[in-house]
Amino acid sequence: MPPDAAATLAARPQRRPRAAHVLGQNIGLVLAAAILLASAVVFTLMFVIQQQRLPGSFEITSTVNNTMPLAVAAIGQTVVVLTRGIDLSVGGVIDLTNALAAIFLAGSPLHMIVVSILVVLVGAGAGLVNGLLVGLGRLQPIVVTLATLSIFQGLAIRVLPQPGGSVPAGYTNLLVNPDAPTALIFLAVAILGWMALRRSRLGVELFAVGNDEAAAVALGVNALRTKIVAYSIAGALYAVAGLFLAANATSGDATTGNSYTLTSIVAVVLGGVSLFGGRGSAIGAICGAFITTMIVNILFYAHINPLYQAFYEGLFLVVAVVLGSLIGNLLRRRG
Amino acid sequence: MPTRFLTLDAMRVLAAYGAAVLLFVIGGFVHPGFASFASVTSILLVASFVGLVAAGQCFVVLVGGIDLSVPWILNAAAILLATASLGEDSRALYAIAITLGGGALAGLTNGVFIVWFGVPAVVMTLAMNGIVEGLALGLSGGLTCTACASYAPPIVAAAVHGVWLGVPAALWLWLVVIVVVTFALGFTRFGRTTYAIGNNARAAFLAGVNVNLTTVCLYGLSGLFSALAGILLAGFGGQASLGMGDPYLFQSIAAVVIGGVSILGGRGQYLGAAAGAVSLTALVSVLLALNMPEYGRSIVYGVVILALLLLYGREEAE
Repeated sequence: MPPDAAATLAARPQRRPRAAHVLGQNIGLVLAAAILLASAVVFTLMFVIQQQRLPGSFEITSTVNNTMPLAVAAIGQTVVVLTRGIDLSVGGVIDLTNALAAIFLAGSPLHMIVVSILVVLVGAGAGLVNGLLVGLGRLQPIVVTLATLSIFQGLAIRVLPQPGGSVPAGYTNLLVNPDAPTALIFLAVAILGWMALRRSRLGVELFAVGNDEAAAVALGVNALRTKIVAYSIAGALYAVAGLFLAANATSGDATTGNSYTLTSIVAVVLGGVSLFGGRGSAIGAICGAFITTMIVNILFYAHINPLYQAFYEGLFLVVAVVLGSLIGNLLRRRG
Repeated sequence: MPTRFLTLDAMRVLAAYGAAVLLFVIGGFVHPGFASFASVTSILLVASFVGLVAAGQCFVVLVGGIDLSVPWILNAAAILLATASLGEDSRALYAIAITLGGGALAGLTNGVFIVWFGVPAVVMTLAMNGIVEGLALGLSGGLTCTACASYAPPIVAAAVHGVWLGVPAALWLWLVVIVVVTFALGFTRFGRTTYAIGNNARAAFLAGVNVNLTTVCLYGLSGLFSALAGILLAGFGGQASLGMGDPYLFQSIAAVVIGGVSILGGRGQYLGAAAGAVSLTALVSVLLALNMPEYGRSIVYGVVILALLLLYGREEAE
């Protein structure tokens, strides 16, 4: 007897509605965007109450310009974290490239372009060293990058022993225009680049290695090459962050980059990228970077004693992660 | 196949001790008097602070975790010791008690959020570092409060600098910690439990281990040891200062890893981590004896750690 068509249909598990499916797939990104929106609203409210006007071009521009180095560094950290790694050498690479930029950026536009490219190559080289040690050396990422952090920091101080050097005004205006948030164009380029990467073979391999390395290898993914490329891309992005930092400060300092090791991890976590690899997006990391800047802005306008700043940032991080996982679990269970 | 005389783990611990001895020999060659008794004990004294922090770090690394809240728990402990004791011996016991309690509390909080709220260890301890930093800076007005100028109680200073049987008292304390921790990890139910969780938390749970409670306690111990190191450092330097805990994050992790403890958990011994602490401190001392500038020390430090890791810290190939 042929099976009853209606009964078969009823027995088949119900498919989730498409919207719920997309939401479940991108829960980290959605939550990051929601937190960013909420913090932006809170900031705007405080600003309006105290200044009797809406935040204008100046506030937006300075927020964007101050966030650029972190946003770019966080994208780099994302690429590494996706492979189930972690990169603590971020600060060292930013120190080094920032110092190089402050010394060598000068002269004609062509010269500055060549210097910028070389600086990015130095960053990629630093990342390559990390990648080779993690991949070929079969060492744990956290230990490797802790050691190379020390090496890169040392090199940076060798390059620029005292804070100094200078960045031409033209270069600053191009990267972080102080009059308009033109730096957003670079972010748009970065997001397009990310979307292209996500759809490329390399992008798929990144996620595959991060989700299950053994399975990825069994399917023909060259995990070694993927990791090495991931760390190199990350290094190049840290170098770009170093360039933005130099352009923003208009001079160099071989220690200002240090804080980016931890803040890039915070941005990645707030951006919904899983530290266990294989899940997340650079767009989330960018949101995470802007959230951290927003928190600092909110604390400033709330007249919080700056000495307590770290306390509130730490508290916010814990609350955001706990709430995020609670909401994520709820949505997944319902969807 | 011939049976191995030593296990791979024992080889790693021996290698860490070998590196320490080698560094003292090199130091003796490049700088006469480096390997003298007085010089060695002073280097070991400095190493003991790293070693104590590394004890806590070792506990959490053994269960596959990590503690990034070391710097400010240590720093806040030093500040708390000075402000609570006001430099008076009569208040020293009380100050030491609340400082150790505070450190343990911060560590336990880490553990609770990691275990029951599913916050990744990196994120939780990073946030805790910020929370403690903000509290320490805010409550002490950036170390400008009147009580902040207090010195560590003379008893504590004496406990660090005082000499007993020709060796600084703090070194005896460290020796006791090494013996107790090694015994606890190697020969007690607590130790077995710790290794079991580090190797496979799920299997440990199914075998009847209270995984959550043990993990929380291990993070609590890490906070306790950071606070203890903060107390001793305040006694060593006389006063608390801002940023005094910063070097100890890097050094405690490096010591643990050089000592042959797997960062993935489940493998390694505190004896090795202690040797790692001595190696690192000896390395810095050798480089200082060579008058190497700061940047050079930083580079060599990183290179030596990588070299040691490549020698014996690699994972087995598939």
